[in-house]
Amino acid sequence: MSIALRRLPGLLLVALLVAGGGVAEAHPHVWITAVSELLYAPDGSITGVRHAWTFDDMFSTYALQGIETKTKGVYSREELAPLAQTNVESLHEFAFFTFARADGKKQKFNEPVDYYLEYKDTALTLHFTLPLKAPVKPKQLVLEVFDPAFFIDFKLAEKDPVRLVGAPEGCQMKIQRPSDGSASAQALNEQTFADGGANANYGAMFANKITVDCP
Amino acid sequence: MGFARTLVLGVVAAAVMLMLDGAVHVLMAQNPFGGPRPGSAIEPQIGGIVGWILARQSEFYREISGTIRAAKSDGSAVWTLLAISFAYGIFHAAGPGHGKAVISSYLVANQETARRGIVLSFASALMQSLVAVVIVAICAWLLNATAGTMCNAEKVIEIASYALIAAFGARLVWTKGGGFIGALQAERPAPVMATVTHRHHHDHSRDHRHGDGHDHVHDEHCGRSHGPTPSELAGPGGWQRGLAAIFTVGVRPCSGAILVLVFALAQGLFWAGIAATFVMGLGPAITVATIAVIAVSAKDIARRLSSASEGSGTLIMRGIEFGAAGLVLLFGAGLLFGYIAAERVTCL
Repeated sequence: MSIALRRLPGLLLVALLVAGGGVAEAHPHVWITAVSELLYAPDGSITGVRHAWTFDDMFSTYALQGIETKTKGVYSREELAPLAQTNVESLHEFAFFTFARADGKKQKFNEPVDYYLEYKDTALTLHFTLPLKAPVKPKQLVLEVFDPAFFIDFKLAEKDPVRLVGAPEGCQMKIQRPSDGSASAQALNEQTFADGGANANYGAMFANKITVDCP
Repeated sequence: MGFARTLVLGVVAAAVMLMLDGAVHVLMAQNPFGGPRPGSAIEPQIGGIVGWILARQSEFYREISGTIRAAKSDGSAVWTLLAISFAYGIFHAAGPGHGKAVISSYLVANQETARRGIVLSFASALMQSLVAVVIVAICAWLLNATAGTMCNAEKVIEIASYALIAAFGARLVWTKGGGFIGALQAERPAPVMATVTHRHHHDHSRDHRHGDGHDHVHDEHCGRSHGPTPSELAGPGGWQRGLAAIFTVGVRPCSGAILVLVFALAQGLFWAGIAATFVMGLGPAITVATIAVIAVSAKDIARRLSSASEGSGTLIMRGIEFGAAGLVLLFGAGLLFGYIAAERVTCL
């Protein structure tokens, strides 16, 4: 009995290895090219973020399924309004995939405003503004855009992906893309395990990080 | 001695997995479809095999939409579409997934043969493709429902499928728990026969199918041991249990396939999308089958090693079966309650 019981855990481990269970990795099904603006009030505080997210060809077509239009293949802003509504409502569950820290302190956003969809060159673009719950005036603001579950692959646009609108003089912006190699897999893996959820924060490896330092 | 053996076994299993991964890596590095892809857009720095697989997967997937568009004017592009879909399926399946975990655990928990493992893998992959086609055919093509409606339907099926996995696991745990407890008690001489014989009655059909001459204590207790015949493999009762596994794994469609199908439908090439969906399913079928065969073989090795030691051999085997059953239950529960978030559908 004792020998058998001592051996059991090892054999179960083999079974586990073989079963291939355990940590599962997702892979993206939706690709978004993001252009974002950081909005500043006249007093230099940050009031919110304006996003323009362009979906990939496949998802755009998928999203348009079942939407009636006057002219085939032409979608007006009004015709797309119900879809835009659905989009922003759905995004709520995912915290709009937008994570902001002001001097290291997590910031909260209000529900989006001024949202609409645009259809151009077979791609849908969702425009929306996320107002900060309370405007902040930090020395450093870090904004990250990513899907922790990595169902959506966010990519900042090649050209001018982030604009500071009305930022005070002397503010400096840095952009880190996931392909920079800035997000080291090793560190993040350890961190994600430490966090408890094996892949709860898997997508963080693919985060787009925008850092704004103001004097 | 026992510990050393276990260690060796574990190392062998790990080595096999690594070798497989390596083989896939080398094979696919040749890039079977067309020339090299310089400056690929997706290079997530997560390094290693996983990162590489993810990158290829995304690449192939993203080529699907363009190829379907091309197929509208150029029929030969359909062949490219099928080739890409196949490649995507292979890479898609390279990562861990619910099918692999459930099917191999199920095979280990039950006295299943490698052959049945292969059949189960292909059948469940086929069902996954079918479910995707049926959902899109009904929702999008017949009812012209919106993507939101379709995605919500997908979500409902997804949750149901997780519940099914958990229920399936619970049932396995229930059956296998009896065998394990029976074996535990068998370690103490007295009440052995009664309990063990009782369990044997439940496991009869299964064990006979598999009792192919291994010096398996279990079978010897039964007093009969014969090799499987094809009719027994597919015989009544045998497939019923298998069908439960197929249904559990296959009921949840791949969201990727649904996207492709809706896209193809919008391009007026629904049939091409359907063909692509079924070809995509081959990848998971092959990988799941491979892992299933490894699982069954590993269990055979474990059986052979453990049968050396008289009584504890049975205990170990029942323990493994019980553990595998528990894995299915844990996996289902984990998916259901969101601890394993990776396979979640995101509706936008």
